[in-house]
Amino acid sequence: MAHAVISCLHANLAALEAVLADIDQQGIATITCLGDLVGYGLQPNEVVDLVRQRAIPTCQGCWDEDIIEGLNACDCSYPSQLAERRGHLAHQWTAEQLSEENKAFLASLPLSLRRDRLLFVHGSPNSQHEYLLPDMDAFAALERVESAGAETLFCGHTHRPYVRELRDGSIRVRVRQMPGEPGGVAEAEDTELRLPLRRIINAGSVGEPRHGNTQATYVIHDEDTGAVAIREVPYEVERTCSAIVDAGLPTIFAWRLRHGFEYAERADDASHVCER
Amino acid sequence: MARWALISGLRGDLEAYEAIQADLRHTRRVDTLFVLGDVIGPERECNALLERLQKPRRGELEPQCLYGWWEDQLLAERGHRGGRRADALRLSQGEAAVDALLQAVDPGHMGWLAALQFGFIELDCALLHGSSAAVDDSLGPDSSPLLLLDRLTRMDVNRLFTARSGQQFRVELSGGGVESQVRDLEGQRHHQQSVPQRQVIGIGAGVHYTLYDPGSDRLDFLSAGCKPKLRARGFA
Repeated sequence: MAHAVISCLHANLAALEAVLADIDQQGIATITCLGDLVGYGLQPNEVVDLVRQRAIPTCQGCWDEDIIEGLNACDCSYPSQLAERRGHLAHQWTAEQLSEENKAFLASLPLSLRRDRLLFVHGSPNSQHEYLLPDMDAFAALERVESAGAETLFCGHTHRPYVRELRDGSIRVRVRQMPGEPGGVAEAEDTELRLPLRRIINAGSVGEPRHGNTQATYVIHDEDTGAVAIREVPYEVERTCSAIVDAGLPTIFAWRLRHGFEYAERADDASHVCER
Repeated sequence: MARWALISGLRGDLEAYEAIQADLRHTRRVDTLFVLGDVIGPERECNALLERLQKPRRGELEPQCLYGWWEDQLLAERGHRGGRRADALRLSQGEAAVDALLQAVDPGHMGWLAALQFGFIELDCALLHGSSAAVDDSLGPDSSPLLLLDRLTRMDVNRLFTARSGQQFRVELSGGGVESQVRDLEGQRHHQQSVPQRQVIGIGAGVHYTLYDPGSDRLDFLSAGCKPKLRARGFA
């Protein structure tokens, strides 16, 4: 069975409508959303309304959490100071716009969704704020999937879609342990752990792509064959950008949509875990 | 040549600390003493040990202390951790244990306890109570090697000294690797990553402590008050 996974909608209604139309056109009925419904874009209520209307199972993103909990994440919530200043502006604007009903909906979202051996999260199983970048340490990436008891981990947050396969892994260890009684002799044991094949599938971003192109991205995964298609969907970028500028939001948000790129949004430390 | 002593889990036991100090004073030629947390606990009054740690005697090594799980619980209950309280302790051992912990430490020590750090980085070593993930992360010889490697990677160190499990052990990650294949909209790329030569070391608790020589990588697991068999118990 093929299912679609979308993430990082960021209040971009035009992009969401285009992606949903693309999914519908392919006859896919099962959609999962990895959060960040709001933030940066102009239509937070409309986007949340549409997700609720379509009854799309959704887990909570960092933006959804921040709108409810307030900005109390540690510095890693924004990968640069510049991004943080802009993010705060968008946060304030979004918090003012969002209806109480939709805030309550965002507050009700789970941190993760699980379907058999598929796990769906926004950032990582550890935190909505942790970036699983495509080239992060392979063992750390594998640990995120394995510790969560999943075979395939779906995530978003980086706004860059990718499929990462980790295979033929092993770790050899020598364990030396002291026995309980004082004066005993250390016991040594050599073992090898064989690591199972695991996959991380990043759904990219519907509402604020940062993969070097302006088209909205999402993924289609076939549970039977394991095949993954990274989809790019065009939408009315220019009209969306103009509306952002007209509303008085930072023009960089429009620039980012026009270019699908952002230097500042690179995580400084991919291994960092939010200590909120 | 540098030589470290690493102790933890005293939980108010001044006699154990005196035994370790005597051990170090007489035989060990140690230049730095690290105390990896859990200097307090609910079983006994801890003030004498806390005062001793804060005011070392002349000629004695000044302990470099971290906070452990018990200090974290006390700090939380006393309002030093934002809205969090000693929920983990309350859940695992009940309200009586929380009360006993509050009684065991004079409020006058809270300033010193609140100033303790989560961990130290010395050379290429991380010294922590639990792990780089959390103060309550209990690493042991049976922990998944993948998890141990992750904890080392998070701090980008070659040696991670931990105390939470109370056990004395050394796990050497000695080989292996993983093949990574990434496909994105730019194409596909392969990468073979090898397991780095790294170690996780459990230092023990109470009178059971560890000596480490960062120059030679020699490790000795010891017990204060016991006649040592250094040749048998240590390994480089």
